[in-house]
Amino acid sequence: MATQTQTAPQSDSGAQKIQQLRELFADASDVGKRALENVIKELSSQVSEPPPPIESAGRVGARLGKRSELTMIVPLVPGGAKRLRTFLQLLGGNLSPGATKVGTLHDMRFVFIDNDTRLLFATSFDGDWDTYIDDFIALIPDYLDLMDSAWEGWPGIRDPGAKDYLVKHQITAEGWFVANPELTLAEIDRLKRIGKAADEFLDKVQ
Amino acid sequence: MSSVNESAAASGAARESMLDLHEIQATVLRPRPAPYFGTHVLLRIDEPAAGRELFRRLTLHIDSAAGWWSAKTPWLSVGISYAGLKALGLPEDSLQSFPEAFRQGMAARARQLGDVGINEPKNWDAAYGKGGVHIGVQAFSDSEEDRRRMLGIAREQIDGLSVSILAMQDFGAQPGDLNSLGYKDGIDQPAIEGSGFDPLPGQGLPIKPGEFILGYPGEAGFPLPMPQPDILGRNGTFVGFRKYQSRVGAFNRFLQAHGSNEAERELLAAKLVGRWRSGAPLVLAPDVDDPALGADAQRNNDFDYANDSRGRQAPFGCHIRRMNPRDSKLTRLTDVKIHRLIRRGTTYGPPYDPNALSEADDEVPRGAIFLFISAKAMATIEFLQQEWINDGNFIGIGDERDPIIGLQEEDAKFTIPRDPVRRLVRGIETFNVLRGGEYFFMPSISALKWLAGLHQ
Repeated sequence: MATQTQTAPQSDSGAQKIQQLRELFADASDVGKRALENVIKELSSQVSEPPPPIESAGRVGARLGKRSELTMIVPLVPGGAKRLRTFLQLLGGNLSPGATKVGTLHDMRFVFIDNDTRLLFATSFDGDWDTYIDDFIALIPDYLDLMDSAWEGWPGIRDPGAKDYLVKHQITAEGWFVANPELTLAEIDRLKRIGKAADEFLDKVQ
Repeated sequence: MSSVNESAAASGAARESMLDLHEIQATVLRPRPAPYFGTHVLLRIDEPAAGRELFRRLTLHIDSAAGWWSAKTPWLSVGISYAGLKALGLPEDSLQSFPEAFRQGMAARARQLGDVGINEPKNWDAAYGKGGVHIGVQAFSDSEEDRRRMLGIAREQIDGLSVSILAMQDFGAQPGDLNSLGYKDGIDQPAIEGSGFDPLPGQGLPIKPGEFILGYPGEAGFPLPMPQPDILGRNGTFVGFRKYQSRVGAFNRFLQAHGSNEAERELLAAKLVGRWRSGAPLVLAPDVDDPALGADAQRNNDFDYANDSRGRQAPFGCHIRRMNPRDSKLTRLTDVKIHRLIRRGTTYGPPYDPNALSEADDEVPRGAIFLFISAKAMATIEFLQQEWINDGNFIGIGDERDPIIGLQEEDAKFTIPRDPVRRLVRGIETFNVLRGGEYFFMPSISALKWLAGLHQ
């Protein structure tokens, strides 16, 4: 399932990229063509000075600064969708505080697709995903298996093949935006504490 | 660490071991003697038959861990690299059963280990990182005389064989067994369940033996995958060998720049490590050194961070809090027990000199060669290098790195939590530079015999 990231064709200048864009949209609908012409001036400055590109997050997945993304589409066992959906609903669809304890997870989403036969799972987190996998196996194996047992062919988190299963079903994102790629969850918590302390200090000196 | 031996004798705390101690090499479990003297010998096998003959001869002189807690010196141990296993003629399916990082070797894993910049393999001493190191022999003893005797025995086994000596490094013989930056070291070791000895106070709950020795259940409840065949893997373990050179001049200049008198400098030196030079932990001796505490193995490790949750005594970023966070609050879901290593630190070169201040002093060959021992040494060292040594995020201090063994970036800093406001110390440099590294497999006694008999 993992697809290779296509490298964008190299072009020397912004003008060439604009030319490429026009060619790309030559067979687009009128709506698409009109939209391109409306924004092409703005785009020309963006493509000539692009931001740092997303990097690889190891074997698969994209990384931007300290943040990585993981997107998977996995087949579900019969009855798996019903079980997992009901389980999520019992938690009000909100996985905190359990997921908060992991300390690296910024977000997670579970989306049932194709008539409940497949699951789209997407998350973003700090660092590489396999760094702490042994910690997960040691500390929260059953929570992972509780949810992942809905996946067809899931060998169990304790199985040496678990990493390969994840990689096999992961699809690397082609485009991705992170507002603060340098801020890890731990750093965000620290900044919150500093903000609070600064407020307390200002209150005291008033 | 002979204090372990002494305390064992005193308290009679030895238990029946669940491990096959007669099979496990002594260096895996037996602490350094005190005082300690020794030599590392690195060898290259020039002909497969010579390598096997060397193992046949040497195996008779390799000590096991039987009765490891009672003082019994001197001894020899031996490890073999992946290139060494190939040079011995190990069958291909057996070679492939070793973990990928071990097969690649430490130099090839430089990116995962963060061994970049001044620590990158192209800057290492000539012997290391080129696939030439096949065998590492270690001699440990408690006297210079015995060191020479053991080295003599090792050399006799090599005589007349097509085996080349690539490097020899004597170690130990330091006044007070201090390391090259002037600290007592090697105090805190992981306690291993079933190893036949009650943990010392503060060693923490025993860790499952499979984390350190192949063939036993690990913390996840089952044994790690073992190199094959079984007789080769069982009771063996892996060793990360890392040679550091201490930049003593830079370290002393840093202390001088940030402490206006001896007391201030020594407090700063203690804050970097989390212990005073005597070994006394800051958590138990926050304001002044307590050498009696430092010397007492029953007390010098008997602490946790429950009463230092804000790092007012031992800063979050200090060396010992990073290498064993104990009960510190970590930012990520972490099982501290699965990231520990058995360490055999071996200091080499002239002793620490507090008056060495010049840049020339940075180049004096002195430092430490570490043997980091674990059944998954490669993965653990990579984790530690990435997460606990060259980052601070795991304990909530951003990009700060280990002030003692970290690879520092330009204008690195060290935060010392304090009331009312923290002290931020700038100008941390890379005080210990990596000068070489290899991964070794440290086979069981039976596996050594099996290797000697290959192709017979």
